[in-house]
Amino acid sequence: MKWSVTVDSRVVKVDLTALPDLQEVEPGVYSLVQDGQSYEIRVAHVNGAHQVDVAGRRLIVDATDPHRAAPRRRSEGPQNIAAAMPGKVIRVLVKEGDAVETGQGLVVVEAMKMQNEVQSPRAARVMKVAAKVGATVAAGEVLVTIE
Amino acid sequence: MFRKVLIANRGEIAVRVIRALREMGIASVAVYSDADRRSLHVRRADEAEHVGGSPSDDSYLRIDRVLDAARKHGADAIHPGYGFLSENAEFAAACAAQGVTFIGPPPEAISALGSKTEARKLALRVGVPVVPGTEEPLGGLHDAQQAARRIGYPVMLKAAAGGGGKGMRRVDSEAELEPALRDASSEAQRSFGSDEIYLEKLLINPRHIEIQLIGDLHGNTIHLGERECSLQRRHQKVLEECPSPLVAEHPELRHEMGAAALKLARAAGYVNAGTAEFLVDGDGRFYFLEMNTRLQVEHPVTEWVTGLDLVHLQLRIAAGEPLGIRQSDVKWQGAAIECRICAEDPEYGFFPSPGHIVHLAEPAGPGVRVDSGVYSGWDIPLEYDPLLAKLTVHGPDRDAAIARARRAIDEYAITGVTTNLRFFRDLLRDEEFISGRLHTGFIEEFLARRPRHEPNSHYDVLAAVVAAMHTRDTEPERTDHLHGSRWVSEGRRRMLR
Repeated sequence: MKWSVTVDSRVVKVDLTALPDLQEVEPGVYSLVQDGQSYEIRVAHVNGAHQVDVAGRRLIVDATDPHRAAPRRRSEGPQNIAAAMPGKVIRVLVKEGDAVETGQGLVVVEAMKMQNEVQSPRAARVMKVAAKVGATVAAGEVLVTIE
Repeated sequence: MFRKVLIANRGEIAVRVIRALREMGIASVAVYSDADRRSLHVRRADEAEHVGGSPSDDSYLRIDRVLDAARKHGADAIHPGYGFLSENAEFAAACAAQGVTFIGPPPEAISALGSKTEARKLALRVGVPVVPGTEEPLGGLHDAQQAARRIGYPVMLKAAAGGGGKGMRRVDSEAELEPALRDASSEAQRSFGSDEIYLEKLLINPRHIEIQLIGDLHGNTIHLGERECSLQRRHQKVLEECPSPLVAEHPELRHEMGAAALKLARAAGYVNAGTAEFLVDGDGRFYFLEMNTRLQVEHPVTEWVTGLDLVHLQLRIAAGEPLGIRQSDVKWQGAAIECRICAEDPEYGFFPSPGHIVHLAEPAGPGVRVDSGVYSGWDIPLEYDPLLAKLTVHGPDRDAAIARARRAIDEYAITGVTTNLRFFRDLLRDEEFISGRLHTGFIEEFLARRPRHEPNSHYDVLAAVVAAMHTRDTEPERTDHLHGSRWVSEGRRRMLR
C-alpha cells in the first residue's frame, strides 16, 4: 500500500518496499546504500511531525499510516492558536470576547531570554484564552482559540 | 595546589572546568538549579549541591548559596566560569572574606576594568587608543563642529543618557551636522528627558579583535595573541578564530595590540586570565573597547594555536604558582576556528529552540574538539542561554581549518531540536568568509545572500520513506492482541522490508 507523505508541504507518494536496503542502524538513524552511494538519514518525531535530516538539510515530514488515517475534516469553525515553541507565558494581551485584527498580538511567550509574540492569523473574535501568565507551555500547546 | 574546587556555573563551561580539575587531581563540586538536576555538569562532577530555583537570580547568581555550598563541601577555591558571577567584584570580595580563593582577578581589578567608562578612562590615562569622541556632552553647534573636525567624518551623534538607537544620527559631512544635531537632541529629549548629545568617530564595518591576557601574582603578565570575533549577531559572537585574517596579513598588529592590552592590565593590577576587546578599522587602526575580566567562551581557539591550557594556568596562578612562561616562549601554530552550536532557529530570526534532544552525534577525528554541555535524551531548559556546545578545530592554516570545520559540522547531528548547524554548513562555504574579509556587519550581509536549498525530489523520497517507516515502527501496536506477540509482528515487518 502506498503512503501519502507530506515533505515540507510537498506531497510524495511512496511504497515502503521502495528502498529494500534501508537499515535502522541506531534508534532513529537509518543507513541506505543505493546505486553505490551511502546515505545517512536521521529522524526524530517532534510535535506530531517528523524532522528528517538528510544530506545536510532538514525536512519536516508528515507521515500518516494509510491503514489508520481518519478522513480529514476541513472546517471554517474555531481555530486554535498554539505556541510555536516551548516557553513561559509572560503576557496575555487579549481576553475572551475581544475582537482581534490580522497580526494582532495575542500572547507573549519567552524562552531563553527571548520573547516571541504569538499573533492572530486573521481577524476574529477571541473565544477562549487558555494561556495563563507564568505558565510553562510546550510547543503545539493551545494558547488561544479564535472564532 | 587546591584539593577541591567548586564551579559556580553550568553547561559546557562547567564541564570544561571539571575536566581540567580531574586532569590535575583536584576534586570538583558542581552547583545546580532545579532545572539543571539532570544536566551534564552535575553528572560529571565528583560532588554536587542544589542552590535554588530555575531562574538564575534564585540559584547561580545567589552569592550566599554558592558560598554556603563551598563551605559545606569544603571547597578551597571557586571557579566562576563566564557570565553569572564571573565579573562580580562583590562576589570576588565575598569569597576572599570567607577564605575561599576566587579563581580570577582581585576585586579591585574587576571594578577598575569591568565598567566600560572606568576602563575607557584608564585607557586614556595610559595612552591606549579608544574610539575617538568627546568626553563631555556637546555645548552646541560650534562645539560639535570643532569636535567633528578634530575627529574627522563620518561621526556618530549619540544621546548621553541613551541607548537602543534613540537619539543617534550618522553624520558624513559638516553640512549635515546642524540638522542632525537638532534631530538627535529633540529625540533624546523626548526619549530620555535629556537633550545632551556627545559625538564619536563612526567606524564603518570594523573588525572585532580581542587579545588574551594572562598574569600571575608575581608580576608576570603576558599576552597569548588575538582572536577575531567579527562574526556576531546582536552582539552575540557566532564564530571566532585565531589568527585573525587581518593579523595574518599584518603580523605587527598582534604585537601592537598585545602591548596595548598589557599596558592596561599592568595599570589595573590585573591577575589571572582576561581579555581586552578592540575594534579595528580598515586601515588596521585599533581602538580599545572593553575588558572582560574572566575566561572567554572562545578560549579553546587560543588553546589550539598556543598549545596552552588556559584553565590549568588559571588554577595554578590562583594557587600562587608563577606563570612559568615568558612572552618569548609563546608560539602560535596553525589556525583554529570555533563555531558556537546553539539551540536556535536561523530560519526564524535565530529564535531560541529549547526542547528534547532525541539523538546526538558529536564529531571527532584529527584536529577536532567539542566542548559540550548536553547529551542525547536531555531536555534543554528554557531558563538559560541557548549555547549547547562549542566545536573548535585546528589545522596547519586557515584553509585547512575551514575544511576541517566543514567536515566536523557534517558529522555533527543533533535531532529533536532546531540548531544552527546548517547555518554553519552554509557559512563555512561562503566565498566572502573564505576570503577572510570579515567585519561586524558580516553576518547580516551573509543572511541576505545565504543560498536557498531548492527541493530535491530524491531527498524528498528518502525522507518520506524513512518517516513512514519510522511511523509504522514506533506507533503503538494495534494488532498485538489479535496476532500474538510483538516478536511475530516484528518478524512480519522484516519480511515486508
